[in-house]
Amino acid sequence: MKFSRLIVQILLVFAVITSVVLSYFIWTNTARYQRGRNVDVTTTESDKNKIPINQVISPTQVIWHDGTDQRLIYNNEENISFSVQNVMNDWKFDRVTRVFKKDGAKYQKTIQKHNAIQLVYPTAITVRTLGYLLNSSTLKHSTDYSFNRIIINLNDKTDKNIYLANDSNYAVYKVSVRDAAAEPILKLAKKANIDLKVRLNLMKHGVFTFYTEPIKMRTYSYVIDEKQDREYTTALFDSNSDDLVTSQDGDVYTYNYSETKRLISDHDKGELTFYDYTDTSVPKNRLAFYQRGYNKAVNLQSSVSNLRLYDADWNDKDLVFREYVEGFPIFKKSQFGSIKISFSRNGTTEHFLNKVLEVPVPSSNSETTLKSTTSILKGLDKAGYSVNDIQDIQAGYQWESESENQNVVDLTPTYYIKIDNHWRPYQDWTNESAEEG
Amino acid sequence: MDFRRIEIIFLIVFVSLDVFLLLSFRNSQQIVTSSSTNTSTVSEMRKRDISFGKLDTKSGSAYYLGSKPNDALVNNVGKLRDQEFQYDESSHKLTSSLNTPITVTKDNRVKKINEFIKKESNVLFGTQYKYSPQQSTSSQIVFSQTDKDLGEVYDKTAQLTFTVNDDKVTGYTQTYIHDLMILHEKEATKSEKDIIINLYANSEISNNSKITYANLAYAKLLEAKGSTIYIPVWFVTIQNRDSKVNSLKKVNAFTGNVIKSSTTGEDYSE
Repeated sequence: MKFSRLIVQILLVFAVITSVVLSYFIWTNTARYQRGRNVDVTTTESDKNKIPINQVISPTQVIWHDGTDQRLIYNNEENISFSVQNVMNDWKFDRVTRVFKKDGAKYQKTIQKHNAIQLVYPTAITVRTLGYLLNSSTLKHSTDYSFNRIIINLNDKTDKNIYLANDSNYAVYKVSVRDAAAEPILKLAKKANIDLKVRLNLMKHGVFTFYTEPIKMRTYSYVIDEKQDREYTTALFDSNSDDLVTSQDGDVYTYNYSETKRLISDHDKGELTFYDYTDTSVPKNRLAFYQRGYNKAVNLQSSVSNLRLYDADWNDKDLVFREYVEGFPIFKKSQFGSIKISFSRNGTTEHFLNKVLEVPVPSSNSETTLKSTTSILKGLDKAGYSVNDIQDIQAGYQWESESENQNVVDLTPTYYIKIDNHWRPYQDWTNESAEEG
Repeated sequence: MDFRRIEIIFLIVFVSLDVFLLLSFRNSQQIVTSSSTNTSTVSEMRKRDISFGKLDTKSGSAYYLGSKPNDALVNNVGKLRDQEFQYDESSHKLTSSLNTPITVTKDNRVKKINEFIKKESNVLFGTQYKYSPQQSTSSQIVFSQTDKDLGEVYDKTAQLTFTVNDDKVTGYTQTYIHDLMILHEKEATKSEKDIIINLYANSEISNNSKITYANLAYAKLLEAKGSTIYIPVWFVTIQNRDSKVNSLKKVNAFTGNVIKSSTTGEDYSE
């Protein structure tokens, strides 16, 4: 009698524990399942023709130290950065640990490491975001450190780690990798057909890429697509145009949709601003911040795959996207790049331009040679801007419309310098040309 | 005694709760794994009597290419023998009539012409052209220029067309691209399966038809700044099984959009 009662009690305890365990699994699993499904829905909704997120949030510079020199490399037939990320997709990552932080001397040594390839993002991203992009569950659940450089050791026999480096606080993190080999990456680097000697210097406002010798850069031309306001209103208001209230003041057209959404289009500058007062949630984590920004950006522009995340300000919840050509950013007349997205409790704001690159065409000019970065800094110094005034300096492309052909834009290389939060080409700061000779 | 009964009731309740939880747990996992819509489209197509071979799901990569008009043909006409030719300077097209027509039959015509074009005194740059069954008809044998790295170009600017009259090949017209430039780093292209599904979704494939041929080749997108720009295009031949009529569909391989001949004003098959 007593024995059977004991069995019943044990079974009961067992059943209770099982139900608790099962409930736990269902709770955590449905959460994951729903989150997973949400991500899926957004990717299928934003249809297959859009640029994948790992191309928009991607390193733009590849810097290779082959043991003697450090060089910026590029292959104009195959994007090395995308290919390296594809290789990394198969790697297994372990947890991230910090090696050091706020140590300028050690930092410089790390980013100038011999026999290494580094992928440089234009702006810092986080470990969990990288985990999402490379589909690594370990990284997705790791501490969410920020970084903007991935340093891959090419002597993988001695050091089985990759390093993540953050320019803003001179911190370096270590991730050990398994099932990884440097061989395929070295192979990709050797295929590069553009190769510029660089030196990475720690300056007051960050790490600058110095071109130690004059650099040869190609000129590009693109057919551009100039979109009409109507195309944006149908895409952004999700409704037929009958409900739109339109007003006009000179060249500025305003479209309202029932006081919740507003599009302001400046036909003179070709700049548009879209306010969505219904979207009042602010992203809670960095990954959601990038994902939501990406979805909004590709909703506005989905042509040739040149768009990259250029700047992300987590404190102000601002994201800036810019178009790139061969690893160099394109600067248009606007101060906000190509697309700027801001999240706030009052709603989201999207600034963008109505002209986008559509189809590459052969350019009439072949190559331009730009001065070395050192002579550019000397020129700026002569014009009264000291090195410490310079917040950033980048070789990039200037957007110049052709006078005889409105549909074609020429992209000519020059140095862009940021002083007092304004990006301007070198010739505007100094009245001198950035070209050599 | 009462307490024991309560224990048994609790046991039954908890065991049934466990069973329920286990079932719902498994259910939720199944939904995650079954989300492929493409396979259902394919089986729907089969139900509508649309037949096709195994569809390739692998997506490749391709470039934006550009070329400038050139006079390579007219500069080399001195090498041609036993034919009379004309050269159109605006379309850069060479039209030639053979002094001794080639006699062909329906079965050996491709083989015979293939041998003929190998010789430089017969056709300039002949080794760079490849027979294109999709563009050929009973009265025309079409060869498209083929780059050994980049692949075929299906376009009026890179074509070699032989005219057949009463089993005799009397002459040909030729256009030639001298220098294909890669204008942009390579980009992913849609797979064969993707574009067949796109064509079906756009009602471009009628019931009771057969997909006989699908080929990826470069085709003209537009002309700008005096150059021609080419993009990869999927050429799909669909045969109606009742009327035996072939129709050629074109799909932009970068975007997956169906190219309507009427909207572009371009007829690639000429």
